[in-house]
Amino acid sequence: MKENNRLTEYGDCSAFLFDWHEQLVTRRRFLQSLAGGSVAAMFPSIASSEETSADIDENRQWQILDTVLKHLLPSEPNAPGAGEINALNYFQFIVADTSIDAGEREFITQGVVWLEDMSSNMEKTSFINLNEQQREKVLRKIEQSRAGENWLSTLLVYLFEALLADPAYGGNTDGAGWAWLQHIPGYPHPPANKLYPELLKL
Amino acid sequence: MSITDFDVCVIGSGAGGGPVALSLAEAGYSVVVLEKGPWFTEKDFYKDELACCRRSVYTPRLKDEQHVIEDRDDEGEWTGTPTSESEWDFWNGNCVGGSSNLMSGFFHRLKPVDFHLLSEFGPVKGANIVDWPISYDDMEPWYDMVEKVIGVSGKLRSNVNTEPRSSNDFPYPPTTEHAVSGWIDKACGKLGYNALRVPRAILSQPEGARRSCEYSGYCGSYGCSSGAKGSSRAALLDKAVTTGRCEIRPHSKAHKLVSDNKGRVTLVEYYDRQGQLKQVDAKIFVVACQAIETSRLLLTSTGPRFSNGLANNTGQVGRNLLFSAGGTGNGELVYAELPPDKAEVLRQVGPFVNRALDDWYVIDDDASGIGRAKGGIVEFLFSHPNPISLAGRTKRGRNGLVWGKPLKRKLEAWFTLDRVLRFEAFNDWLPVDDCFVSLDANIQDIWNDPVARVRIGYHEENLRIGRYLADRGVEVLEQLGASSIGSSNSSSPPTNLVAGGCRFGKDPATTVLDADCRAHDVENLFVTDGSFMPTGGSVPYTWTIYANSFRVADKIKSQLGG
Repeated sequence: MKENNRLTEYGDCSAFLFDWHEQLVTRRRFLQSLAGGSVAAMFPSIASSEETSADIDENRQWQILDTVLKHLLPSEPNAPGAGEINALNYFQFIVADTSIDAGEREFITQGVVWLEDMSSNMEKTSFINLNEQQREKVLRKIEQSRAGENWLSTLLVYLFEALLADPAYGGNTDGAGWAWLQHIPGYPHPPANKLYPELLKL
Repeated sequence: MSITDFDVCVIGSGAGGGPVALSLAEAGYSVVVLEKGPWFTEKDFYKDELACCRRSVYTPRLKDEQHVIEDRDDEGEWTGTPTSESEWDFWNGNCVGGSSNLMSGFFHRLKPVDFHLLSEFGPVKGANIVDWPISYDDMEPWYDMVEKVIGVSGKLRSNVNTEPRSSNDFPYPPTTEHAVSGWIDKACGKLGYNALRVPRAILSQPEGARRSCEYSGYCGSYGCSSGAKGSSRAALLDKAVTTGRCEIRPHSKAHKLVSDNKGRVTLVEYYDRQGQLKQVDAKIFVVACQAIETSRLLLTSTGPRFSNGLANNTGQVGRNLLFSAGGTGNGELVYAELPPDKAEVLRQVGPFVNRALDDWYVIDDDASGIGRAKGGIVEFLFSHPNPISLAGRTKRGRNGLVWGKPLKRKLEAWFTLDRVLRFEAFNDWLPVDDCFVSLDANIQDIWNDPVARVRIGYHEENLRIGRYLADRGVEVLEQLGASSIGSSNSSSPPTNLVAGGCRFGKDPATTVLDADCRAHDVENLFVTDGSFMPTGGSVPYTWTIYANSFRVADKIKSQLGG
């Protein structure tokens, strides 16, 4: 078990990242081997309608991602969802953050294209137009490929960041994620000029 | 003697470098400290899980600087994997103050027995166990000094295993303790075990420019925003700089120690932030880059008298690398199973647990099959409060990824029903032939210097003793009434607890450094990080590294003329 590689004297928090790192490796290898970036690469059994990939403009891409995030973390009266924590805003920060490997960020947006391809193939319409059951069906189908599972897992990891990182990063609106999970955050909180992209410039 | 830029050049600013810099600057000598990473201060440290633990803020990006880790593959052959591929990060705090900025600061001295394991227990087949060239008594005054200079908070609770001390008690009262500490005391009492009250290198009262601990609950792996944590930076280097005789150069990556025909180091070449090769000369050079990087720097520093690397004419540099062996375990303290008042105090975040067991520092247990052998300690602590890490562990279920409402219910359960009490067992990582640092023949860092290749072989005894200690930890968790108790041992090295590689000793044929941590065959080269340790002991290394560095600083002072 790699989980125990770092004892707490100097912090064990990286230990739990191992799972995430493992996926990262798979993801990079997958991206390296990816030729066309179409759903055919993920599901060779499904013929890709090649024109769909090019059709998604940036706004549309964010709309689709927003829909996915709201499905993964739905809103409830007493428990915030992706909408309440402004998850999309956080993902926009991540995708623009040049301190994160470009391949990783590309993977997030590329996955949206695959999803849209899959939705067209399975339901003959955009993911945005699907009802909850159809969305679940398409996402579970995506999950069956290694890359698809990887993509969804990556979204969940960043969704957890959107839920529980300091609100200064654009998610976790007013600490709603912390309040929901009864988590007591530490003080002092980072001001805008001390967020990690700024620290990396020191 | 020719005029040099500085009296002393220290390479590396962590627990090994700080004591030398402060001691020599205070004694009137000029000191320059070269640090590869940036210079963060209290004004840069916030309780920000992304910055501390999820991005490469305090450590290099692995594609820029990495290691190659040699592990056995399925066929038992040694195979190297670059950490840029595996993402198994071996860096710890590359910034001014080094990884001491990020420590949890539970502090333990070595015990007298650690200084003479071979004499005490005899040889262990397959392990290179030796006695140290100095005794606990030689180190004790420096342990004592660390308590005062770094600032150690605690209240002595002696038992038969407590190391001899020259001061009656710690200079600062204990840090505030969590209610669970009392529960651990009770549980241990019932089992007949002596719960230690663990001191911490964290100020419980302000001292100079450093504020007292503010008990945020985010300590280990976070930089300290109050200055209470006894990092090399806050406790030593900030003071060294105020003497006016210590200059710290961040973003300065040592490239090579250049030596002359006589075998003396004349200067160090380093890359500055712009990638320009600079140099600085000094009378004495001190290397303290943390064990792996110290060996790497010596190995790359060839010279007219050292074709295989500085101080490496007997091929000992990099050998007998040490980590820390042990195990971990945890149990859930379920709020609903406790009376409301106990549940309430259990939720409290901030105060420290400060409890450990050293009853089995020497195991004497025939019934277990171990008999009499070197053991270790069991340290109790709460799980790190990092919520993103915790949440990350909820995403997989029996049937694949979990999302939607089921994920939300799972998150609620993981976060709100219980608090996880953990323990970590520490025991000796026995020195073996198959645990060493060399230079990788193919991979370089961004400055085109070969990266360290680290073979991580281990001795089976590491696991056997670790298992014994972990079983004792489990007994305590059971006595405490914890649920879902589990424990595990691993043969993998904890990457944050590393020492050895430049053993000190009397025999130049089998050691790199003499008893003063000066290279046997380089009169103006000292090594003051954990590299000197020929055996590692069964506690985290920091206090010993600090103490030894103060001890060596005193020797350097003498060499410079007192």
